[in-house]
Amino acid sequence: MTEHDHDHDHDRTVAPMVDEITDFEVLEIALRELCIEKGIFTAEEHRLMTEFAEQIGPTPAAHLVAKAWLDPEFKKLALAEPMTASKEVGVDWLHPTGWGTPSDFTAFQILADTPTVHNVIVCALCSCYPRPILGNSPEWYRTPNYRRRLVRWPRQVLAEFGLYLPDEITVHVQDSNQKHRFMVMPMRPEGTDDWTEDQLVEILTRDCLIGVALPKAGVKTNMITDTRPAIHPGNAG
Amino acid sequence: MSTAAERAAQLDLVARLRSAYPELPDAPTPDMLDHDRITAYLKPVHDVGGEPDAPMKYENKQYEEWEHMTYVICEVLGWRGIWLSEERRRMGNVDVGRAEYLGLPYYGRWLLAVARILVEKHHIGLTELSERMAEVQERYAGGLDGKTLEAQPKSEGDGSQVKRNSHAEEADGKGDPQCYGGQAAAAKFKIGDPVVVRELPVIFYTRTPEYVRGATGEIEAVAYESPAAEDETWDRPARPEWFYVVKFNMADLWYGYTGTKDDVISTEIPEHWLEAAK
Repeated sequence: MTEHDHDHDHDRTVAPMVDEITDFEVLEIALRELCIEKGIFTAEEHRLMTEFAEQIGPTPAAHLVAKAWLDPEFKKLALAEPMTASKEVGVDWLHPTGWGTPSDFTAFQILADTPTVHNVIVCALCSCYPRPILGNSPEWYRTPNYRRRLVRWPRQVLAEFGLYLPDEITVHVQDSNQKHRFMVMPMRPEGTDDWTEDQLVEILTRDCLIGVALPKAGVKTNMITDTRPAIHPGNAG
Repeated sequence: MSTAAERAAQLDLVARLRSAYPELPDAPTPDMLDHDRITAYLKPVHDVGGEPDAPMKYENKQYEEWEHMTYVICEVLGWRGIWLSEERRRMGNVDVGRAEYLGLPYYGRWLLAVARILVEKHHIGLTELSERMAEVQERYAGGLDGKTLEAQPKSEGDGSQVKRNSHAEEADGKGDPQCYGGQAAAAKFKIGDPVVVRELPVIFYTRTPEYVRGATGEIEAVAYESPAAEDETWDRPARPEWFYVVKFNMADLWYGYTGTKDDVISTEIPEHWLEAAK
């Protein structure tokens, strides 16, 4: 930047003349090229992992909970053997490497809400999240802000998501900080008695499975919808 | 090329970046620091649970292409035995230091961890990395200008001489932590046991959060066997031990807790951090 003696800010008021490549883009490309040239991994392995990463998302998790709501036997399986139950919604936790996604490990547990207990997940140390079944975590889940506060002021944080819990309901925060990954199985809401699995899936938003929202007939979107745009968007998330 | 004024301006910018107690001078003499402040400086910076903070606007973020590619490269390096996930978690979340931890985007730290592991394990030289970065910059000197972000490797190496860990092989068909099953000593605790989290000295790395150290909780689950994070993070041989999900009552855990007396928090802790509560 050069010095200006006038007072307006070019960065904010004038579209950039050049669509510059960012520092992180430069570093990522340089590292990937050197890795392939040295045989650290092959372009094919990189492509396979890219394809895997592009297809993960919250849909299988929503189906798993919907099935559990509809079938008490499946609910028992989901709570006792969650990775076996995951297979019924198309998720094999050992994919794509034969031993899982390295960052996520293969220890999975589902936390079932009850009329008196509400579960919510966080990773206060980084962003541990059940990626294979729920996709990549939202940006806010990874912020130091959410991680600092949820473990100590859970009711306030939940209220910021519009979730006000009465005192009769106990909050159970699960800080997922080692190798276990957790997700929440909320209670089936009123007004969904004759619903099909696909109808139930529509109200099982990602936020409900993190535990910052409760499913409700008619509500099909996450609480947080504002999205910062990417400078150079990719195909995932 | 930068001008002298631009170099001075960048130094001014760096000089305003603070990550130290403002009441102390830079590099204080030993008599100026007490135990609590030394502990604060040595605290692994990823361990933010319970630090005071004010509400902020929570937002989603559309993925940058490089963020997605960074996640992929990290996973491929794990898959191909270059690092353990626990090495990545330390290098990207702790070893970066406080200023970069709080100052850089989430995936920026992951990407720096990739550079760090490849250089530290002698897979690539830092000089060749900076030369390649300069080359990529040059390739896009006029900006993207219709071009896509694309890696253009000059060749494909055969990789047979690349040093790899044995983890992929050991975990194949089982998963991690299942690959460590049956290797720990008998579990010392069972569900329902009251336990105290030890207050071990911490330098460099741990995944036992500061907010539970010294607190009394109850074993909620006997989880799995795994090496302690403090050893696994350097990929050194270490005997697996039992990990436990431990439940703490929030009203006891937090001074001035504002929720109800029944609210609880659970977190996972390895056996060597726990002792039986009296």
